[in-house]
Formats: sequence, C-alpha cells, structure tokens
Amino acid sequence: MPKKSDNTRKLEDVGIEIDGDPDSADEVKNTKSKGGGKKPTGKRGKADDSEDGEDEDEDDKPQKARRANRRKAAQQQPEEEDSDDEIPQRRAAGNRRRGKPGANGGENGENKRNKRGGKKQKEGKGKGGGKKKSSSEDSKSEGGDEEEESMSEGERARLMEEVEEKKKLIANIRNKPWRMKRRLKHLKEAQLFVDKFEGALGKGKGRKLYAYKVMMMKKWIKFQRDFDNFKTACIPWERKIKEVESHFGSSVASYFIFLRWMYGMNLVLFSLTFGLVVIPEVLMGLPYGSIARKTVPREEQDSAMDYSVLTDFNGYCKYSVLFYGYYNNQRTIGFLKFRLPLSYLMVGIGTFGYSLMVVIRTMAKNADVGGGDGEDSEFTFAWKMFTSWDYLIGNAETADNKYASITTSFKESIVDEQENQKDENIHLRRFLRVLANFLITCTLGGSGYLIYFVVKRSQEFQNMDDLGWYEKNELEIIMSLLGLVGPMLFETIAELEEYHPRIALKWQLGRIFALFLGNLYTFLLALFDEVNAKLEEEQEIKNASIWFTKEYYANYTLNNPNDTGTPPPMDPADVIRGPCWETTVGIEFVKLTVSDIQVTYLTILIGDFLRAMIVRFLNYCWCWDLEAGWPSYGEFDISGNVLGLVFNQGMIWMGAFYAPGLVGINVLRLLTSMYYQCWAVMACNVPHERVFKASKSNNFYMGLLLLILFLSLLPVVYTIMSLPPSFDCGPFSGKERMFDVIIETIELDLPSFLGTLFTYAANPGLIIPAILLMVLAIYYLNSVSQAYQNANLELKKKMQMARDEEKNRRNNKDSTNQVMKDLEDLLPNRSNLPPAEEAKDKHEEKKAKVKPGAAGNGVNLQKDVSLASANPNARGPVTQAPGPRAPGPGAGRGRGQGPPPRR
Amino acid sequence: MGSRASSLLREEDIEEIKKETGFSHSQITRLYSRFHSLDKGENGALSREDFQRIPELAINPLGDRIINAFFPEGEDQVNFRGFMRTLAHFRPVEDNEKNKDPTAEPLNSRNNKLLFAFRLYDLDRDDKISRDELLQVLRMMVGVNISDEQLGSIADRTIQEADTNGDMSISFSEFIKVLEKVDVEQKMSIRFLH
Repeated sequence: MPKKSDNTRKLEDVGIEIDGDPDSADEVKNTKSKGGGKKPTGKRGKADDSEDGEDEDEDDKPQKARRANRRKAAQQQPEEEDSDDEIPQRRAAGNRRRGKPGANGGENGENKRNKRGGKKQKEGKGKGGGKKKSSSEDSKSEGGDEEEESMSEGERARLMEEVEEKKKLIANIRNKPWRMKRRLKHLKEAQLFVDKFEGALGKGKGRKLYAYKVMMMKKWIKFQRDFDNFKTACIPWERKIKEVESHFGSSVASYFIFLRWMYGMNLVLFSLTFGLVVIPEVLMGLPYGSIARKTVPREEQDSAMDYSVLTDFNGYCKYSVLFYGYYNNQRTIGFLKFRLPLSYLMVGIGTFGYSLMVVIRTMAKNADVGGGDGEDSEFTFAWKMFTSWDYLIGNAETADNKYASITTSFKESIVDEQENQKDENIHLRRFLRVLANFLITCTLGGSGYLIYFVVKRSQEFQNMDDLGWYEKNELEIIMSLLGLVGPMLFETIAELEEYHPRIALKWQLGRIFALFLGNLYTFLLALFDEVNAKLEEEQEIKNASIWFTKEYYANYTLNNPNDTGTPPPMDPADVIRGPCWETTVGIEFVKLTVSDIQVTYLTILIGDFLRAMIVRFLNYCWCWDLEAGWPSYGEFDISGNVLGLVFNQGMIWMGAFYAPGLVGINVLRLLTSMYYQCWAVMACNVPHERVFKASKSNNFYMGLLLLILFLSLLPVVYTIMSLPPSFDCGPFSGKERMFDVIIETIELDLPSFLGTLFTYAANPGLIIPAILLMVLAIYYLNSVSQAYQNANLELKKKMQMARDEEKNRRNNKDSTNQVMKDLEDLLPNRSNLPPAEEAKDKHEEKKAKVKPGAAGNGVNLQKDVSLASANPNARGPVTQAPGPRAPGPGAGRGRGQGPPPRR
Repeated sequence: MGSRASSLLREEDIEEIKKETGFSHSQITRLYSRFHSLDKGENGALSREDFQRIPELAINPLGDRIINAFFPEGEDQVNFRGFMRTLAHFRPVEDNEKNKDPTAEPLNSRNNKLLFAFRLYDLDRDDKISRDELLQVLRMMVGVNISDEQLGSIADRTIQEADTNGDMSISFSEFIKVLEKVDVEQKMSIRFLH
C-alpha cells in the first residue's frame, strides 16, 4: 500500500496535509469548491471587521499600510462581488480584473514576465516536440489535480497567454518552415491544449462542461485510488509475510508466498470437490445406514466409536462421506436428478486439469515478470543508502520492520556482492563441484539401491510368519533414516561447491527431491501390492456374497413357507461386503497426510520452540554460551519446508480421488500452518547466516510442483482407466471400468448423433493426427518464442547503447546542434549531411564505446561533460533578445541544465 | 480553519513568501496554522524539541538530520519564513513555472531537492559526503545488526560506486549522477492542500 499512494500521502506533522486519506481531503476540497466562490469576500470582510482588535498585538506602521491595502482591495471588490457565485464566473471575474492594467502592480510585472516566457516558449518550439509535450503534460496534470480556485491570478494569466500563443500557432502554422509531419503534430497538440484550457479560463462555451469534467475526473481518480487500496487490503496475509520478509529476507518470504499460493489453489479444489460431490451426496443421497456401503458392519460396530479406531480412520470415519466407498452408484440423486457418479469422475479429472492449468499459468506469468527488470546494478549500494528509508512512516512498529528490512536488504546485497567478487582459482572450484556432484550421485544411487533392496526383502518377508519387530518395520525405518540423513549429507557435500546460497538452495531442493522420489516409489509400490491383493480377495467375496444372498432368500422361503411375498431386505450391517480397495487407498493417503501434519507441527514445536526456550533460558546457568555456541537458535529450513509442502500436495492430488475429504483436511492444514509457521519463524528462529535474495519468480518451486503433479497424475489415471472398481462400494460399483460412466451418459442422455460424433472422435485415426498437430504447434511456438527471446536481447542491448548515447548527447551537445538538426530536417536529401555532423556522431560513438569497457574512465568523461553543460554560458543565449536561432532553455528536462548549486 | 492564524500573518509577508517559495495564498495560511500548532512555546518560532514531537520524525533514523535541515547554521530557532523556505523544497514541480524565471532557480527544482537530500548526508556541511559520514548515517539506519566491518565495506562500496574523481568522497555532482534515474521530482514532492 505505501508504494501505491506515493504522491498522495499524508505528512500532517510537518504541517503538510496531503490527501493520503482521500476521503477527508476530498471532502475538504468539495466543501471548498462549493463555498469557494464566496470565501474570499467573506474573509476580507471579516478581516476588515476585526482589524481594530488586531491592532493591539502588532506594530503600527505595517498595519496601516496593510489597512490601506485592504481598503484598496475592498474598493475594487464591489464590481466583482456580484458575479462571485460560481467558480467559473469568479474566474471570469478574475480575467476581467487581470485585463485591467495596473490593478495590481506585482501582477502586472508577473504578466510581463510571462509574456517574455511565452515568447521564449514560442522560440523554444523550434526545438522539437519533446519539451512541448512535457509542458502540455504538466499543464494537464495541473488541470486534473489542482483546485480551480487555487489557480492564482498569475497562473491564470500565464495560461491565457499560452492559450493565445497556441491559437496564434494554429493560425499561422502554414507559414512555418517545417515538414508536414511535424506541422501536423504541433497542430494537434496546440488544438488539444486550446480545447482544454479555453474552457478552464471561462472563455468559450466549454465552461460548465469543463467544470463537470474536472469533477468527474477527480471522482474517478479518487475511486481508482480507493480501489487500489482495497485491492491491496484484500491480499491475505500480506502484512504477515512482509513482516517475515523484513526480518528474514526474501528467501524465507518466498516460502510463505508459495504457501499462500498453494492455499489459494487448494481452496478452489476444495470448493470443486465439496460443492459438486460431497454436499450433493450429503443433501440428496441416501442417508447413513440405508444400504450396506453406508453402514458400519456388525462385527465392527462395537469398536466403531473408539478413539484409537477413529484416529486410524476406521469405524465411523471409514463409512463416512470422507471416503470413496460411501458414495452410491445411483445414476441420479435427488429431485434435481444430479448425476453424482458422473460428477464424481469429472471432479476427479477436473482437479488435475485445474491444477495443471494453474501451475503452468503461474509459471508462465512468473517467467514474464522475471524478464522485465534485469537492469541497473550500477548503484545498488548507493541507492540503498540514499533512498531506502520511507520518510512517511509514522508508526513505530512499521518503523521497526523497515529497520529490519533495510538491514536485511543490505545483507542480501553483501552476499550477492561477495559472490560476484570471488572468482579466484576457478579450476579448484570446478574440480570441487564435479567431485561434489559425483559424491551426491553416488549417494543417490546408493540410497536408490538400498530402497530397492529393502522393498524386495519386505516382499519376501510378507510370506513368512515368524518375524521380529525389526523385520516388520524395516522398510519404514530405513526410509525415515534416509530422509533424515540424506538432506544433512547433501548439505555437507554442497559446502564443497561454494555456490551462491540461492543456487545452492536450488541444488539442495533438487537433490532432496530425487531422494524423496524413492520414498514415493516405495509407498506406491506397497500400495499397488495391497490393491492387487484386495482385487483378488474381492473376486472371491463377490461370489460368496452372491451365494450368501441366494442362501438368505432360500432360507427365508424355507423358514416361512406361508409368506409368498418378497422377503424383507437384509439388515445392511449384516451384508457380506468386499474389501473396497478404493477406500483403503483413500484411508492410506489420509493417514499419511495427517501423520505428516503431526510430524511437521511437532518438529516445529520441539525443534524450534523448545530449542529456543532452552537456549534462551538455560543460557543464564550454563557453562558455555548457548546462544552463540552449539545449539543456538534454529534457522528456518527453506528447502525442507518447500519440499514438505510439495510432497504433501502430491499426496493430496493422488488421494483426493479416493478420499474427497482429503482436500478439506489439506485446506485446514495450510490455513493453520500459515499462522503457526509465521509465529514459529518470528518467535523462535534466527535469520540465516547469509541472508540471500530469492529470485523474483519462484518458478523453481513451481517446477517441482509440476513434476510432482505429473507423477501423481500417473497412478490415478492408471487406476481410473485400467482397474475395475469394487463391486459393492463407490459411485462406480457395478461397472467394468470407472470411465464407463461417461459412455453411459453419452448413450443415455445425449442425442444419438452426439454419441456417434464421440465415437468418431475417439477413433485413433483422428487422435494420432491431432497429437501430431499439437506436437508441430509446440515446435512452432517454441521456435517463435526463442526468436523473440533473441530479439529481446538484441533490443535490450540497443536500448542500453541508446541510453548511453543519449546521456552523452544530453550532456554534450551545445545549442547550435539543435539548429543544425532543424536545418537537417528541412533538407530534402539526407545524404547531404554536413560533414561536421558525421564527425560528431563518430566522436559520440567512440565515447559510447569507451564507457562500458572502462567504467571509471567513462564516468569521468561524463562528469566533465555534465559540468560543462551546467556552465551558465551554455544557457547564455536563452535570456537574450529573441531571435530565430536561439533555442529554449536547456536541452533535457532540467537535469544537466541547472546552474551549479547556489548555497 | 486558518482564519485566526492567518490573521496573525501580514499580507506583505504572505506576498513575500509567495514570491520566494511559490506557495499559494491559501497554502501559506494553512501551513501557518500548522506552524502555529507545532509551536508549543508560542513565541513565533520552532525549536528542535517542537520538531521532535512529530512522530514521523521521531522514529525516522535520519529525523535529526531532517530537523537540522530546517535550522540555519548555528541557530536553534526557526521562524515561519525559514520553515516555509524548507518546505518549499517539497513543492511539486510544475513545468510551466520552470521557465518562468530562468535566472533565479525555484526552491523546488530538481537540483534543490537533491541538494536538500545531499545535506541530510553531509553532516559537516563541507559539500562532500565522506566515508565517515556515510558510516554514521548507516549506523543510524541499520543499528547494530550489521558488523562494523560490513558497514565499512558498504560505505566503501557506496563511495566506489559513486565516486568518479577519486577523492574517496561523494560530491554533490556525483550525488546527482547517482540519483539520475530516480524520479526525484516526484518522490521528493508532497501535495500540499490548496
């Protein structure tokens, strides 16, 4: 927010009121503009009345003079007062008054000066569009921003002058010795100007329109400002993140920004899942206990409410809306005829579709931002030094944050600087890096093999009976050991490489990611084994249950031979049911997620909070300095946290199809962890030893996320496409494959020609060319983007060169050159350029070339040049009598043109 | 709102201030009432303590420097004229008055704005920002969070970046060059109510 209202802030305590608080300020303005017309006269009258009273505390002589003055003013007033009701009228009055020569001496003088200024400006017009544009721009801003009544007499006069000037220009533009293009340009500008200000000055009919326009403009600007503020206020946790950033640097903040982004995405997923699947089922589906899949089986009912069972997500949890198994396979539910199975499948696919789209879009946007402002590292420290404090900060807490952020940003720059400077002994470093990478590859390969080995062993163990505790849990133990040791090992090895911490973080992330992939692999493998076992088991149970139902009915008719009607349905709790592998998978993922949350939070509580407490309070009675020495306070582990977040999201993506409630759990998790981690960071951590600046776009995180998304997409799509759904639970029960729902819908609900259309579309003869086309399109777009990139680079280079040249020219060119240019403009043939010009260009080119090479030398040169132009002599011709050859004051917009500092 | 305060102001004073600073009449009266309310001693002049009561200045690390800028050398009182003269540095630049009077540069020109900023850093008023001065200012800005050594290297770097004539200090022209790309006209402007 502070950035946005830069020019509109309030600094009331230096005696300045700006409209940082737009409401009050505008109110003042409004009331002023309402009563503005009458104010001056009233004030003067009042002043006259109270004159005698004032006399006491002021000395006599000036007072008398003033009184005389006032009388004079009062005498002049009557003729103006009658028309003072409206602003424009008042202005007209002002004009009238101004027209009277000698009414006000000072004003007259000013007028004269203005005339001179105006003339000068006219001559200045010869100099080209740049200056005029700026003047018109400024007057525009004046017209927009300033109060009408604040336009003093002098300003108004000058404006009048200018309008006249422009009119004259319009009248005799034909006679100007300019080229057509330029004439047109000037004509347009002049006309715009006249249109604008004739109304303002109360001449012409645009008066009322002008007042209205100004009012609307002001309203509009105010609205925009408010809206901007509102928008900024709507960004959640912005304040928290900024606070963290100011103390811990942008790298830590980047994690929280990532977390916030993740929360936003999950919120959308959550609303999709709950809005289209969970809530319809709860509201319109059959209630709990009505059918077998929605009832806890008889043998489990005793323990179904036990805490330990519930925390394992068995019992009532298992047969709740949180999991796949609960959903019924009715084609439509409720009076709305909501097609729940179809919706279920669509949401499952839509989750992935939306996530992919969002991730890729964000990546593209970040890449866009990243390319934008890579310029200017010329004066980093000087700028930080001279411009970092925000002088409008009036709140002590904000000031503290600002202190911290200035310190942090200095530290960041120091780190960058150190990295830039050390490039000694490149061979050694290269060797070390190769060595480090070799070591890490070895570690990764070793751990991969270890995982493979352990998984194989555990599969063997499954068939054995007498297993010890270790054999049972071997896989988990090995995995968590790897997860613990691996990152530390990588960090130690990474120190060999001596990368900039930002790059080191990326490497670290990539390596741990690779390690964790092994984790994922074992988990999925175990899961698939389980699923396969369940599938086999299911086949048997299916037969058994069919047999059992038959038996039940046979028994019923046998036992009650008199009853000829249909037998009463079985109690749903007694029905034999299949294992429902989907729910098992869902429970597995939910358990994993929940335990992950627990572990993360406990780690923070123990590893950070408790440690900080111990370090802080035991330090008083310990034999060495705990704060500076060994345990010290924890640092925020960026790589670990980011990876935790990414992998957690992978779990959600994979599990969401089988456990719709998982998304809700995840939203809660992200929400709490935002507050919890923010607190933990601020309370128990210390900034990194080398605070470093995060790269602008956290595309690296996004890349990891994309990879995980893709990886988690695979198993889900595989199960949807090729595993048969359970026969007695879930929305797809009874179907051969899950996606049969779509085919069914196409056949039953859509008109038949659409069905045939789909069969055509699904024809491989059509799909293969489509894929080919897409590949070609990708190739084409890729090459186009590369070409653009090259062009961009080229343009950047050119811009840099142009800027240097411009700088040189601005400081260097004397006034005659401008005239030369004008002449040149008139010349019919450009090849007749005067040789002097060419020589000059060459000279300049040389300078431009020198500059980038030897910085010190170039800058020195420039300085001489700027001093030369600051020399008042260069401005000499300006004040002299108007002649056609004299240019306007100064070439640039007042940079090099001012005289040397006076004081 | 400023009627009482403005009654204490003489018309000629206003005229003169107007001419000198370019403020409009109503701005001057408004600022005068502000001046008056800051003036706890009721003696028509502000002391340093009066300024230090302003929270923005109290928490600003360079607050003392800013307050200093209000006071002419060797004095510890500033009257309304001086007050206005300092404030005039922050008046937004309007282009149509830039070429009004080429001989006398207005107080709110880019150069004068920069000069004002320069003075904040130039503690001993020798028109040069030396390494020691930078160090002092840095100390004010970052406190004790960065080691002396690093502060020293920051100051060195700053000078190295800005210094072009090799005298190991930053002169005003070098200062201008450093801030060449900063939009000083806009950043060092405050929209005074009219």
